[in-house]
Amino acid sequence: MKHSILIIMGFLFVGFSAMAQNSVAGTVLDSNGQPIPGVNILEKNTNNGTISDFDGNYTINVKNNATLIYSYIGYKVQEIVVGTKQKISVTLLDDNQQLDEVVVIGYGSARKKEVTSSISTVNGEALQRITAGSPAEALQGQASGVQVISNGGAPGSAPSILIRGITSFNNDKSPLIVVDGVMLPSGTNLNFINPQDIKDFQILKDASAAAIYGSRASNGVILVTTKRGKYGKAVVTVDVSTGLRNIEKINLAGAKEYAQVVNQRRLNDGGVAVYSDEEIAGFGSGTNWLDETLLDFAPVQNYNISISGGGESLKYLASVGYFDEQSHYAKGYRKKLTSRFNIDYKVNEKLTFQQDLSTRFERWEDTPNLFYNTLRIEPLTDVYLPIGSRDGRNEFSIFDRSSIGVPNPVANVARSFGEITFFGLSTNTRVRYKPVQGLDIQTQFGFNFKNNKRDNFNPEFFIHPNEQRLVNNVSRNISNNFDWVWNNTVTYKRKIEEHDFTVTAGLILDEQRYNYVSAFREDVPGQENEALRYIDAATGENMTVGANETVRTMFSYLGRLMYNYKDKYFLTAAVRRDASSVFPTKNKWGTFPSVSVGWAISDESFFKVPVVNSLRLKAGYGQLGNQNINPASQFFGIGDSNYAFGGERYVTNVLNRFGNEDLKWETVEDVNLGIEGALLDRRINFSIERYKRSSVDLLFQVEPPNYTGIPGTIAQNVGSMESKGWDVSAGYSGVKDKFTYSINANFSTNESKLSEIAPGIEELFGQQRSDLGNRYLKISRPGEIAGLFYGYKTDGIFQNQTEINAHSGETGNLLQANAVPGDLKFVDYNNDGELNDKDLTTIGNPFPSFTAGLNFNFTYSNWDLNMQWYGVFGNDVINYTNLFAHSGINDVNVHAGTLDKVWSPTNTGASFPRLSVLDRNNNYQTPSDLLVEDGSFVRLKNIQIGYNIPMKGVKKLRLSLSGQNLLTLTKYSGFDPEVSAGGNIINGYGVDYASYPLTRTFLLALNFSL
Amino acid sequence: MKRIIIFTFFTVVLMGCTDKFLDQPLRGQQELDDFFASAEASERFVNGIYQKINGEGWNQINFLRTINEMASDDEWSGNTEQPRADITGIAHYNVFPGSAYINSFWEHNYIGITRANLAMAYIPNVDMDEDLKNRLLGEAKCLRAWFYFELVKTYGGVPIVTTWAELFEPEVYKYTRATTSDVYSLIEQDLLDAIEVLPLKSEYATSDMGRVTIGAAQSLLAKAYLYQEKYAEAEVMANNVILSQEYQLEADFENVWKPNHLHGVESIFEVGYINDQLYANIGGVYSSTQGSRADLGWSWGTPTSDLENAFLSEGDAIRLRSTIMKHGEPVYGDPDVTSYDAAPTRNKSGRINRKFYIPKGDRPEVYQVGQHPLSHIHIRYADLLLMHAEAAYFNDNEAAALISLKKVRDRVSLTTDMSLTGDDLRDAIWKERRLELALELHRLHDLRRQKINGVPRIALIMGPNGTFVDYNVNHNTDPFETTNLGEAMDKGILFDIDTHLLWPIPPEEIQLSQGLVEQNPNY
Repeated sequence: MKHSILIIMGFLFVGFSAMAQNSVAGTVLDSNGQPIPGVNILEKNTNNGTISDFDGNYTINVKNNATLIYSYIGYKVQEIVVGTKQKISVTLLDDNQQLDEVVVIGYGSARKKEVTSSISTVNGEALQRITAGSPAEALQGQASGVQVISNGGAPGSAPSILIRGITSFNNDKSPLIVVDGVMLPSGTNLNFINPQDIKDFQILKDASAAAIYGSRASNGVILVTTKRGKYGKAVVTVDVSTGLRNIEKINLAGAKEYAQVVNQRRLNDGGVAVYSDEEIAGFGSGTNWLDETLLDFAPVQNYNISISGGGESLKYLASVGYFDEQSHYAKGYRKKLTSRFNIDYKVNEKLTFQQDLSTRFERWEDTPNLFYNTLRIEPLTDVYLPIGSRDGRNEFSIFDRSSIGVPNPVANVARSFGEITFFGLSTNTRVRYKPVQGLDIQTQFGFNFKNNKRDNFNPEFFIHPNEQRLVNNVSRNISNNFDWVWNNTVTYKRKIEEHDFTVTAGLILDEQRYNYVSAFREDVPGQENEALRYIDAATGENMTVGANETVRTMFSYLGRLMYNYKDKYFLTAAVRRDASSVFPTKNKWGTFPSVSVGWAISDESFFKVPVVNSLRLKAGYGQLGNQNINPASQFFGIGDSNYAFGGERYVTNVLNRFGNEDLKWETVEDVNLGIEGALLDRRINFSIERYKRSSVDLLFQVEPPNYTGIPGTIAQNVGSMESKGWDVSAGYSGVKDKFTYSINANFSTNESKLSEIAPGIEELFGQQRSDLGNRYLKISRPGEIAGLFYGYKTDGIFQNQTEINAHSGETGNLLQANAVPGDLKFVDYNNDGELNDKDLTTIGNPFPSFTAGLNFNFTYSNWDLNMQWYGVFGNDVINYTNLFAHSGINDVNVHAGTLDKVWSPTNTGASFPRLSVLDRNNNYQTPSDLLVEDGSFVRLKNIQIGYNIPMKGVKKLRLSLSGQNLLTLTKYSGFDPEVSAGGNIINGYGVDYASYPLTRTFLLALNFSL
Repeated sequence: MKRIIIFTFFTVVLMGCTDKFLDQPLRGQQELDDFFASAEASERFVNGIYQKINGEGWNQINFLRTINEMASDDEWSGNTEQPRADITGIAHYNVFPGSAYINSFWEHNYIGITRANLAMAYIPNVDMDEDLKNRLLGEAKCLRAWFYFELVKTYGGVPIVTTWAELFEPEVYKYTRATTSDVYSLIEQDLLDAIEVLPLKSEYATSDMGRVTIGAAQSLLAKAYLYQEKYAEAEVMANNVILSQEYQLEADFENVWKPNHLHGVESIFEVGYINDQLYANIGGVYSSTQGSRADLGWSWGTPTSDLENAFLSEGDAIRLRSTIMKHGEPVYGDPDVTSYDAAPTRNKSGRINRKFYIPKGDRPEVYQVGQHPLSHIHIRYADLLLMHAEAAYFNDNEAAALISLKKVRDRVSLTTDMSLTGDDLRDAIWKERRLELALELHRLHDLRRQKINGVPRIALIMGPNGTFVDYNVNHNTDPFETTNLGEAMDKGILFDIDTHLLWPIPPEEIQLSQGLVEQNPNY
């Protein structure tokens, strides 16, 4: 309405300004080069103005020395001095901070100014700059309070997203994903969506924003809004990028150095050398297993085409995308074909209808995970057997066998046959009825279908009696997910004088149904024939089948009141009641309230600070729930197995699941305080928020002492956690002639502590390692950050016997009686005069003191440059490869230069202990700070330089070159400091078992639109 | 407005259905509360307790028994190709408390105990034949005693859990170690209860062979008494088994350990391993773990020349040939092997355990760990006779001791000096025990419990002045053992009597129990 008044006024003013002397024409484009229709163009200090047409074109007559002001909702206002120019084409920059912008909130939308909770917006453009399988990768460093943790560079790997730290011990800490109003199942990662289809992300960070999603929202919520058709002529866009990925390798010992290390290990124990000097002299460089196993470059490609447009009643957008990434092994890829079709249909002024349909077809080949073994296998082993010794061996058996029993990684790759085809279909139907002014009734049905088919083939091979498969086998696993969400909401909006109310009520049903069928059979004849690798062809007696189904359901109501007075004082209050099937009947229901307030202090008449354009204060409180547990957790389950009596097999039954009939909701309480504003004609905007989240009744898999004989773990509601931190972000942007620039920085701190565990339990452990005596690398204790590294502190290396003798208890007992010079000195941490597991203590913190993102955008004329920096500071990493990299434990290979890095009587300043086979001091069988390294890093995530080629009849033609992860500044010695061992973040984060590192990517891209 | 009414109506209807909508059962798996509904189910559950006698696979329980044997004078660690701190180190008394095998032995015996406790909680309420019910409860009790006996031998006093219900009490997380004598009291009571209700071996159908019997419970009880030096009770209990006439010695010693020979006349307590191509882990494991590296084996725990010398000094050729096989020699009882390859460059002693060897002709097509058709006998009649002899000797009933000793020796054509008395008789019984039961995984615990002048024999054999250490360091001339130095000759020199009569408590358990379960001294 306001809009059309402006249009009319605009035309009126055109009439008044007939005296103007210059005629100026041009086109208004957005930063993607798309024309913007309806832009207000006003001559400064006059009433003279116009608006742009369908194609963004405008013409206006102005006086000499006029200045034009361009403005449009969602874009930054721009002023341009006309001078003598007759053609002025303008690119308007997105303005996410603009207060009149409408943002999507749960089950509705609100003006940015009305939002009193913590919501970060990341627009699609920022996500599309990085070519990656998942938009999550591009999200890293884009928003404060949102930590994106890479899970490596293997095709299809999905980064973990942590919003404002950790308040749950539960496995799944990923936020709830809601696409155009439809909740996706917990644990869904962002891989499913084509980044090019995203209009923006709204990240609901605090409880007052997220509580409307109740029990699904304790890890925060990401609202994904997809692009929709706009009023205007059909626009066709084509985006293509293609590039190569590269892994930076580590230097490993060659044959000579390896043999010397093997000898030295024995000689140091008083044993005899394995290799004579003559033998060593005769060795070449040996096998470089990293080179043999990994390709230097792996290609990645991305193609997208879309068409969109619309008229008065029907708007449409259709897109197709194709993404293809290959691994650095000879096996492993992911190909993804996505499509989306969004339609909006206006039946009449009261009734609108929206139908979205998206599909995803993917094909994967398993990427082997062999870094650990590739680092360990010794260089004296050849990749293949000599040609002459291959007689009678099939193609999977022509490999040499490591004499120390590390499986040959090249052979592993050769016999890796795992393929997945995936089909996903989502529909989203929304009917919206506005019978009277202010009343909005919506019903929305979202349906998600996923079909996943996995085929594996394990060939018959013989490399060694302990590295062989006697009979080949083939298996298939087909799984389906049928998930649906049905949202029903009524919203009523009314303004009575200065009181503005919006009331929403809703009812939601949600079901997630998963089922699978799997089958396995041995003995496919003629295994070379790929066409026979199906279960129908197999003839073995050994076959298994499995099939099962799990269902989770949820039923919810919600209510919300948004109120403001004079557009200066804001209040939002909401409540959601959820019932979930995963809890026992008595504990099914949970209630999650929230309230938040805001004050636009800069709108007060007493507020007169000229440089401050706007300033708002806000505060919120809310409760959220968590129900992310295996739906079987409440049950005691009986499984079966076998035993033999009287020479016959008997079926046995055993307890294999210890349930908990008292399970209940995990609840998170959250307080958020914030201040945000804009300065200097809105060139600077900033936001500072402080939050504290505390959870109670944590859902946790408790591992009871083994003397209870309880199989596995028990899901329990134990204890509480607290997460607090600062989210700070600031941006600066401006235009100077042909030069536009914007710099956005964000800074986040978080500290997630365990407050309390169940009565009687004082410690929780994670990352059990059998090679460290079944001890754990991680510990969580009340009052401390959850998931600290745990082990012995060391105090250097014993240089001589005197030092060993001096390391004694009160009675003169030696603390390390088995130590000899060159061994690690372990600290008697509790000072009890004995060295034992009571001296285990925290030896590092995997969580950063702070993370920061810094993004630069510059455009000059037709050129543009973009840089994204991301930094993580103050975190430690357990480099687990340190266990063998300089010890050769079990005679595995070592890193190059090991002999110079280990202690010896002639190298007393060494940082690693002496070489030894027996290792009677347990240097390498003890969790200690020897494994811990500083994991801080600063990474140039992306640098991109683009050039817009001006061409007639083409809206946009842009070429760009970019490099991803080109530069990483770090002291860390492993492949990549950004690591997680996977699984539970508390117990997995910061532990490096040498998984697939992030890759450097070089890309060439073309964007074209017509 | 009409639409709003419809909407509201709809909402109300929907809410009526929510209970059903929200009630999602456990699918594809039986629930405990529904499970114990029949005799069949009860029996199948009791069958599951048996699985933890040896555990599933080679590593859960079996392998610590192999390590025990390596830590005695009968076996080397053996595998010199892959010396490992958590195996070789323990055999050499450089004990790594965190060994996965020490840990899993603890864990899986306790899983067995909880299965037994659960059976005892649920089976009494099942509507079924009372005799069968009592038998099943007796089996559970006997097996629980077995598990606690395994634990107390290995670790000393351990936490005691005797009911299913207590797992639901918060106190269960605060248990500490019971005393050794408390654990033995429980073992004794469980076995006495089991003896009341279990059938004789001869009363079982063939298809039930392998279930525990009165004889098994009595023999186990006799052994538990012997370990406590309760010689009077041990002798009586062992004699009960003899008097039952349920058992006799195999006529030929070589048939005691024989593939596909299940539940023979001598067998009292046995895990009846069979080969099944489809189901792993109902077959034997030791043929692989202790087999030659040149014969699809792993070569852990290879016989010492010290053991061979013990046979030779006794002139015991019959048992030697069925106990130890040597590199380059034919294998007794396997006509297919004229020169056995014991891979002496990868095997400390060039010797392999014949008892766990499967002749080529008896091997199934797929010969692999967990599928060997060689039954594992835990208690056999010869063991029982020698327990009887030992107990009788300590009860000053030397005549009875000699009778039992003679029975064992007669089978292998060794004469028995019936005039033996005093320490000579004691030493003869102990030596007989070593030779008869050699490599059957009993030796370490025997050496720890048998004492001379109050000193456990293991302390006389191991340690800096131990006879075994002295033999290997100063006198050993064995061509294999002195050539392959991949395993040190001074095995046992690090033995410390104040430490090594028990194995350490797994560090994991100390952590999981918040330190309430305390470590054994000096670990």
